[in-house]
Amino acid sequence: MPEPLNPSTRINLERATVLVLDDNGASLDILSGVVSGFGVRTLHRAESVRDAQALVKIHTFDLIISDVQMPEVDGYEFIQWLRREAPEQNRYVPVILVTGHTRISQVFKNRDAGSNFTVAKPITPKILLERIFWVAREERAFIECDTYIGPDRRFKHEGPPPGTDGRRKDDLQGEVGDAQEPNMSQEEINNLMKVAKVQI
Amino acid sequence: MTVRKFRPPNRLASMIKDRGGILAKDALAAAEANVETLRESSLAALDAALEAIEARFGPGAPDRASEEFETLYTMTLKVVDVSGFAADAGVDEAAVSLCALVDACAEAQAWRWDAVDVHLSALRLLRNVGASLPAEHRRGMLDGLHKVVQR
Repeated sequence: MPEPLNPSTRINLERATVLVLDDNGASLDILSGVVSGFGVRTLHRAESVRDAQALVKIHTFDLIISDVQMPEVDGYEFIQWLRREAPEQNRYVPVILVTGHTRISQVFKNRDAGSNFTVAKPITPKILLERIFWVAREERAFIECDTYIGPDRRFKHEGPPPGTDGRRKDDLQGEVGDAQEPNMSQEEINNLMKVAKVQI
Repeated sequence: MTVRKFRPPNRLASMIKDRGGILAKDALAAAEANVETLRESSLAALDAALEAIEARFGPGAPDRASEEFETLYTMTLKVVDVSGFAADAGVDEAAVSLCALVDACAEAQAWRWDAVDVHLSALRLLRNVGASLPAEHRRGMLDGLHKVVQR
């Protein structure tokens, strides 16, 4: 998991073009207020997926923040459309989903929608800024296949499950066994850190 | 199945490091100040949403048994949306708990009116006096709601 945001870190979102989407006007106002406070000058608001799609077709966004539960078309379906059918310049834009609650039946839909992060409502500026910071420092590759387009859903690289060969070229093979030797002492670790002359 | 793994350009990554900008703590302070201007209207929206829920799903609502699960779920989400302003009273957590309850009812296709009523009473109480309750009492009430959902 990425590191927490340091209060003394300098961020510059002045040039960022951001889309916020929420069907509840009060919630959209809160989201917009938070994002504007972060220094974003070009902020587009949408109260429906249809409006958001229209904006995505004419603007290039650097970040999209979308509610999940909306009538007719929900946030998951919007992201799936974005990843597959939106204009090329917006197809891989970072997306943060915000939701008051995730239904039991939609846990997998959330995982497979293709967003970068999901943030629980009520949103707080601290959490949202931290996630924006994480998105900006995103190190995960994008995965594109028949059933999914979005950031790699694996945060940790622990290799494939035991007993399987894995499906990817960079999956580590073999199981990690028990330690064969006792742990190093603190002194041994300190010695490893000492500056020493080396012959080149 | 063909899987493509690639790294699309992340414009946000380059611009966030541009010269100038503001400190994260100042960004947070500005965001908090912006949000604070919405306190009154948000609390009014919260109270209106709670009243609407009470009218359609409270113990006195005559037709509540014929209502759809989705209706209460959606109405409760509107409470969650603006409940950050009443987080010190525990309203946010109680509203999320009600969402979980309604979702469980929808899965089972059966209302649990005793559990709904407990949540509505708790929401009313927390909204009115939650912030002034001793923290352990408030915690106890919220833990109780979670237990009711899991039953």
